[in-house]
Amino acid sequence: MGLNLKVDVMKLGLLITLLAVVVGYSSVPHAAEYILSVDGLGCPFCAYGIEKRLRTLKGVQAVRVDIEKGQVVVVTRDPDRLTKDQLGAKVKEAGFTLRSLRLAPENEKVP
Amino acid sequence: MKRSLRIGTCLALFWRVLYGIVLCLFGEGLGAAPVTFNTALPVAQGEFVFRQLFVVNRAANDPGPVKRKVSGWASVSVLGYGVSPRWTVFGVLPVVGEKTLSRDTSTGRERRSAGGIGDLLLFSRYTLYQRDRPGGTFRIAPFLGVEAPTGQEDARDSQGRLPPDLQPGSGSWDGTAGVVISRQTLAYQIDAQLSYRFNSKANHFKAGDRVSLDASWQYRLWPRQLKGGLPGFLYGVLETNASHQWKNKISGHREPDSGGWRWFITPGFQYVTRRWVLEGVVQLPVLQNLNGQALEQDWIVRTGFRIAF
Repeated sequence: MGLNLKVDVMKLGLLITLLAVVVGYSSVPHAAEYILSVDGLGCPFCAYGIEKRLRTLKGVQAVRVDIEKGQVVVVTRDPDRLTKDQLGAKVKEAGFTLRSLRLAPENEKVP
Repeated sequence: MKRSLRIGTCLALFWRVLYGIVLCLFGEGLGAAPVTFNTALPVAQGEFVFRQLFVVNRAANDPGPVKRKVSGWASVSVLGYGVSPRWTVFGVLPVVGEKTLSRDTSTGRERRSAGGIGDLLLFSRYTLYQRDRPGGTFRIAPFLGVEAPTGQEDARDSQGRLPPDLQPGSGSWDGTAGVVISRQTLAYQIDAQLSYRFNSKANHFKAGDRVSLDASWQYRLWPRQLKGGLPGFLYGVLETNASHQWKNKISGHREPDSGGWRWFITPGFQYVTRRWVLEGVVQLPVLQNLNGQALEQDWIVRTGFRIAF
């Protein structure tokens, strides 16, 4: 009797832990990558300004520039709060022109 | 087939050079900016760029009998701030390490020298026209500046007050205005600047006004092929600096041995990364058509770094 009760309590504890992990995971925002095509990027020194301006946005975790493609990848943990207007404004502040923006499909994400 | 390819390459090169010359005629830069002028450097809004330049020069080609020689070195600190995406303000403060004039006199070789803080130049550029495209941009920016008499203007030695040319500061409020055109691609950048410098009078001396036409061509030498990311670029730099200065005035009278035409060719290099730039050039005179017995420049070396923060 006592042994059965102990096993039941253990099962319940395990269930609660599992539930907490699932709920916790679903409430953590998923990281996403925006790919910005930026016109006017011509050399590495120019790129630092755009990196710094984009990093001022809340939720931005990393900014990577591919100068050959004229692309800026913005990694955010909060994609729902990041708008195209915000990204465009930061590109403009850096002195460049945002041509297009898209959310990277999972397979385009850089590890 | 190979021959026609070669002709095609030559033609492409010819057009590229011609295009550069045309830009130079009508019209300073961006990330890989010119070394001999600062106006071509736009800065992102709210960001700073600091530039430290060291200048060494010698002028010993004296057409007169006293074998004058002027040599010296200076450091020039430049701080740029982006007020808006199009509007940048700069402060330029030169510090003369030493400037020395030596010449023959009846009692032997005379040597006089001075050093100290120079005049602070404040100027601003505004990008009036900007056309961005993938991997490049074209910009036209007028600029306007004022030079405050912050420098030492009354340096003396055992013989008394040093001549105006040796003083670290001018003592006068001077102005500068002009326009700069920049064309940048991933492979090269061309900048051209037309400027006019107004000098005013101080201590009974007025330096002659100066009009300058400067152009800079920066060509990416390495990496030859871009393979993604943000690698450092090594540029070969070729600049040209032409100027005409009117005669100085001393107590209202024109100084006959001052002013004239100077034209320099300036080869060098620039290594550009995302946060800093290393650069160096040497200005070599091609033509110096100076008035009277004005002293001709032998060479000027400019080297330094820039950092974005």
